[in-house]
Amino acid sequence: MALERRTDIGPPDYKQFLPPIIKENYGKWKYHEELRPGVMVHVGESGDKLFTVRAGSPRLMGTKGIRRFADLAEKYCGGYMRFTSRHNAEFLLTEEANIDPLIADLAEVGHPVGGIGNAISSIVHTQGWVHCHSAATDASGVVKAVMDDLHEYFDGTTEVPGKLRIALACCLNMCGAVHCSDIAILGVHRRPPKIQHENMKKMCEIPNVVASCPTAAIRPAEVDGHPSVEIDEDLCMFCANCFSVCPALPMADALNDGISIWVGGKVSNARSEPTFSKLAIPFIENNPPRWPEVTEAVRKIVEVWVDGARKYERMGEFIERIGWPRFFELTGIEFEKEHIDDYKYAGLSFKRSAQIRQ
Amino acid sequence: MADSQRSTPLLDELKEGPWPSFVTQIEEMADEGKESCGQLLELLERSYNEKIGHWKHGGIVGVMGYGGGVIGRYSDVQDEYPAIAHFHTIRVNQPQGWFYTSDSLRTICDIWDRHGSGLTNMHGSTGDIILLGTTTDELEPTFAELTQNDFDLGGSGSDMRTPSCCVGPARCEWACYDTLALTQELTMHWQDELHRPAFPYKFKIKNSGCANDCVASIARADLSIIGTWRDQIRIDQDEVRACAENGMNIERDICGNCPTKCIEWDGNEMTIDDSNCVKCMHCINAMPKALRPGTDTGACILLGAKAPIVEGAQLSSVIVPFMKIEEPYDELKDLIERIWDFWGEHGKNRERVGELMQRVGLGNFLEEIEVEPVPQMVAYPRDNPYVFYEEYYEEDDEEDDEE
Amino acid sequence: MAVSVDEVADAMYDLVAEYQGKKKFKASDLTKAMIEKFGGEVDKKFCKLAIRQLMDSGRCVYTYFGGSFIEVPHEEGAAGGS
Repeated sequence: MALERRTDIGPPDYKQFLPPIIKENYGKWKYHEELRPGVMVHVGESGDKLFTVRAGSPRLMGTKGIRRFADLAEKYCGGYMRFTSRHNAEFLLTEEANIDPLIADLAEVGHPVGGIGNAISSIVHTQGWVHCHSAATDASGVVKAVMDDLHEYFDGTTEVPGKLRIALACCLNMCGAVHCSDIAILGVHRRPPKIQHENMKKMCEIPNVVASCPTAAIRPAEVDGHPSVEIDEDLCMFCANCFSVCPALPMADALNDGISIWVGGKVSNARSEPTFSKLAIPFIENNPPRWPEVTEAVRKIVEVWVDGARKYERMGEFIERIGWPRFFELTGIEFEKEHIDDYKYAGLSFKRSAQIRQ
Repeated sequence: MADSQRSTPLLDELKEGPWPSFVTQIEEMADEGKESCGQLLELLERSYNEKIGHWKHGGIVGVMGYGGGVIGRYSDVQDEYPAIAHFHTIRVNQPQGWFYTSDSLRTICDIWDRHGSGLTNMHGSTGDIILLGTTTDELEPTFAELTQNDFDLGGSGSDMRTPSCCVGPARCEWACYDTLALTQELTMHWQDELHRPAFPYKFKIKNSGCANDCVASIARADLSIIGTWRDQIRIDQDEVRACAENGMNIERDICGNCPTKCIEWDGNEMTIDDSNCVKCMHCINAMPKALRPGTDTGACILLGAKAPIVEGAQLSSVIVPFMKIEEPYDELKDLIERIWDFWGEHGKNRERVGELMQRVGLGNFLEEIEVEPVPQMVAYPRDNPYVFYEEYYEEDDEEDDEE
Repeated sequence: MAVSVDEVADAMYDLVAEYQGKKKFKASDLTKAMIEKFGGEVDKKFCKLAIRQLMDSGRCVYTYFGGSFIEVPHEEGAAGGS
């Protein structure tokens, strides 16, 4: 007999997944301390201690990998674990003596421990060529290459002045909402959509397509007897919004797609207010499998920050203090026309004072 | 390599190096006999060679009655990779705070091994468990097994997206309200809005327990609920002195970094002008044993964040400077429904609520959602004199406000 | 109310079917159309019930192309080969 169809039940109640120590100290934590890279202890008003070990993960996981996490949670944590908003896995221990064996077991299965406090944490990212229809670059591959390179800043081998959050989105849709990251790696298209006139009528609603363009570059037109659209290419800023509503306007183009790099954004309110990331490098060609030009550019920016930033200073705060001209000078990045905003409110980003470090 | 047919020299390079490899994760599943994973590797290798993706967006597949939770995905080279011709994503609503037991993780794994590729994202950007890759025929059976095990789908399309939250009071002393309880309640309260798209476009809710905003709500959520307090930072002077004795430069690192310079340290005692404190969290972050948020806690409610598509990226901006966040959360729910009513009535297709706020003006928007304007909502008052006054007097207007 | 959820769901279906291939409706479009058609007899909440009835019956499906719409089930364009 078929089971009754259940809908609208919502997620399972989280309370059943909380370890007993958390249930007992819920809302009654007093303070926490970082014991060493990737390990912290939370101490309750009760005096109870909860140890957290944070492990990096590729985010894209097979069930086999998840089962390994489940096994480790059972072996060391009474079967309890959680994930973080940056895709790390966190193991919650009550026995301090279990920390070392857990870390050793994690190392055995390839998961480094780190990313807590003043460190580089895992890269929030999107699907890329693994699964996305609008990607201008891969996501997981670039992330793997960059994290392999920056590993020393994740596991605490090299100390950093403050938090550094990197995010990657494989197109301007920004499923990873990377626009407020210390370093954002963003896939970009640079060629206007190639119009499939013969598919336009059957795949898309032309008025919707016309309305979708933020710069009004798209107009209805009949082409070779097909009701279709024409695009004023000078007005195209490659947002791909038209492609989102109409698959007959593909944007992806191997010769023109690539990566841009943005810096200095943050979401935390600590010290300075949350702010957007700003353009550092307009375009780097896709160069799989390891995107060496991207990893090198990111490393250079990180090193400039590590060398120059004061304690706690985030990338944006550091650049604010030294000024953008000095940032470009220190990183060796060439300042180009693309760095100057020319969309709505562009004027707000112009330098409107004579306060220049000459 | 177990599958001698498969040749992926470019991807193989990504199995090396200290960071855990997604290629290894996919390959393991291929070696377990998942044909789809083997073909996914081959297709990805092709993308690495050609520098272009090979996926098409589907727009119709889903489970019966729901308009969210399934993302249709098809390969554009189906004949060559038949096992991934259909490769749909299922979004599964995560438990709040992303807490799991090993049993619950294995339950999800078992279901997904039976019905899909075995590949996942733990987790997606919005917070859901992402089950990556299955065929149209497997959608209903997967859904049936998930719901039998108390899991349900998350949002997609023009609906309320799966709300998410930080770890909150479960493991953080800075949580100014119960982020997990609130997120669970909002998710349960609006199941229809989550599963049956009825909005102009997506609507994301993210709940952070303090201004550190660990779920990036101010950047990533249309509605950002960020914990704060309105009384005094709790100071343990002995612990402050201990920090100084342990070498902390309190003058430079704490007082000097305070955005409103409201902290003083005389070498023996710390004093804070709480009336001028903006609750940024820096001093508390830096001295977690010495300083704690106050006890009259609640949240600041901000609205309108989004990524660039369509009209440009926005951060959320303040609509309620302080609200107590307590069960049954009626004040908050009423506010959200007033926002949805106005947006639902006037929003254009694909217009996020933040874009509507810009289009009609924040002042008009506030009027429509019945919220009084207060100075906390602006960084500074307008500096342009083009004011859209809505009424004016005529010479012979009579005084009619004598009631 | 004099009009039943079924009747409103039927009216919604007729509207979607009539314009299939010409115009796509969002849930809010259907709600507005029903309020216009039935006047004070239906409101937003009532229409929500009708939409749920319509979708659960399988006569219509939700579709997504840069926004969610309600349509009569049809073959997925992208499902075909290259």
